[in-house]
Amino acid sequence: MKILIIEDEKGLRESIEEYFTESGNVCETASDYAEAIAKVNMYRYDCILLDITLPGGSGIGILKNIKENNYPDGVLILSAKNSLDDRLEGLDLGADDYLVKPFHLSELRARVTAIIRRKTFSGNNLLLFNEIAIDLLAKSVKVKNQAVKLTRKEYAMLLYFIANKGKVVSKNAIAEHLWGDGIDMANNFDFIYSHIKNLRKKLMEAGSNDYIQAAYGMGYKFTDQ
Amino acid sequence: MKLLAKYNRVTLVTTIVVMLITGIIYYQAISLILTGIVDKDLVVEENEIIDYVNVNHQLPQVFESNDQQISFTEAKPGSVERQFIYTLYKKNDEHRKHKHRHEEYESGRGLISSVTVGDKYYKVLIVESTVETEDLIKIIFGITAGVILLLLLTLFITNRLLLNRLWQPFHNLLKELRLFNVADTKEITKLNTTIEEFKELEQAIASMSSRVKSDYKDLKTFTENASHELLTPIAVINSKLDTLLQTDNFSQQQSKLLNDLYTAVSKLTRLNQSLLLLVKIENHLVEGNVPIDLLAAVDELVIQFEEIFLDKELKVSCNLTDKQITANPYLVDVLLNNLLSNAIRHNHPGGEINIILTADQLSIQNTGENQALQKDQLFTRFHKSLSSEGSGLGLTISREICENLGFTLTYGFENNYHIFTVVF
Repeated sequence: MKILIIEDEKGLRESIEEYFTESGNVCETASDYAEAIAKVNMYRYDCILLDITLPGGSGIGILKNIKENNYPDGVLILSAKNSLDDRLEGLDLGADDYLVKPFHLSELRARVTAIIRRKTFSGNNLLLFNEIAIDLLAKSVKVKNQAVKLTRKEYAMLLYFIANKGKVVSKNAIAEHLWGDGIDMANNFDFIYSHIKNLRKKLMEAGSNDYIQAAYGMGYKFTDQ
Repeated sequence: MKLLAKYNRVTLVTTIVVMLITGIIYYQAISLILTGIVDKDLVVEENEIIDYVNVNHQLPQVFESNDQQISFTEAKPGSVERQFIYTLYKKNDEHRKHKHRHEEYESGRGLISSVTVGDKYYKVLIVESTVETEDLIKIIFGITAGVILLLLLTLFITNRLLLNRLWQPFHNLLKELRLFNVADTKEITKLNTTIEEFKELEQAIASMSSRVKSDYKDLKTFTENASHELLTPIAVINSKLDTLLQTDNFSQQQSKLLNDLYTAVSKLTRLNQSLLLLVKIENHLVEGNVPIDLLAAVDELVIQFEEIFLDKELKVSCNLTDKQITANPYLVDVLLNNLLSNAIRHNHPGGEINIILTADQLSIQNTGENQALQKDQLFTRFHKSLSSEGSGLGLTISREICENLGFTLTYGFENNYHIFTVVF
């Protein structure tokens, strides 16, 4: 996939770029309004990560430009302003999603993957990962054509893992993805372990390989290597 | 003590004291004048006697009149000194009312003088009754006292009416001050008064309130800006941590350090977002009310937290009835999340949570420490129990949201349950 990262904060831009760069992905970056407008008007991307506050102009202006020219690019707004107005304005103008800073890179990755999946949907609602087949519409999972019954959270967790395959995903990120803001009431994230254990057991019982690896007690890695 | 009472006391006491002193002086002056008149009468009488003696060389016939008595007594020559005295006037009522002789004494004023008839020396005593004078004084005194009483009464009533009316602007101002809310944009209502002091007071209060409001606004802007500025570095730290996690092979010590960093950063994030949200709610910047099915919202949240209930071995029971409200969905989400999070966070393993939703209120009850929380500090910012891992802003935000939506949030402790109730 081809991604454009429009973000003026160097540290953040580099982290995102590094996280998304892997075989099969192309990442480009823009650090201000003019550069962003130039790139947006010159190339097409699968997804554009758009910061709202930019030197030289507002990200909203870039979004308007994209929509006025009917570019099909997916747009995910990154904003430090947790303002509902911005969110609504962004989504009204045709952004596909909205993510408030600070965020976990794995969360960003999951959102971007979801946007691209939707954009390139084209009648195919099946997500394949080796022997695991996920029907995104029916929200059902099959391993080697055998149905696996997952709970809502296990299903969400599997999608999250696949979107971040090959990456170590922290327990915090998983917990926040599945339980949202309310998660801070749990003093530790050990209870996540039992959910991952269940997911792993169900997949392996259906004949899947063991793809989930624990990573140094900090998180998990979904990988076929 | 009320100003009116104090004022009345002072004016009444002064009035009474001044009136008493004036009364005494008045009395003295009048009796002095009247005594002077009586004395003149006595002197006239004395002159008549002396004239009579000079002409007739004998004592005049003593006759009794109603108000003067004259008596002559022989005395040693030169022994009588001429002087005025206060004495008794022996009144003879015989002629008037009673058959038998009845003697009555009245106060009188006398003049002792002397007269020489031939070679005989006589002491002359002329006494005049002063009853009428005293009557006069009494009447005058009575009228004066009446006037004083009337004056006091008038003073009292006018003070009451006048002061109440005069102080009306003050009371209005006081009412305004009581309603003063630093977060409010409403200005103090202008007083309709011509009194200089109240005008000054009003100006002072108006300038003070606008200063306080602008300071408060500055402070809020500062909080908001500071929180905003913090977001970017936090975002960078967060993303760098995520990136660091992708590098290989951590020792156990390193992974523990990383874990602690993650925890701290996520706490910082939450704190920051809470501050921003608080500013936004206080500024009434959160709009967009839509109808919300509260029953469904609570249900969904309970399902969302299911795993956490299980993990903490909490027994959750819901008793929910249908309830629709019109509110901002985001705020309602935060409110429910905060209240339920608290019920979970401050619970003990194996504890209970009861959620009761009726048409009038939503109440969330939880077991926990068997001791009521301090009500007065419960909703203040950054107040939290020693064991709490939260930001200390949750309940402040919850209360602000409730106020924003026109609800009230109350706390109670009953039968070992901590109960937070949102009254619609």
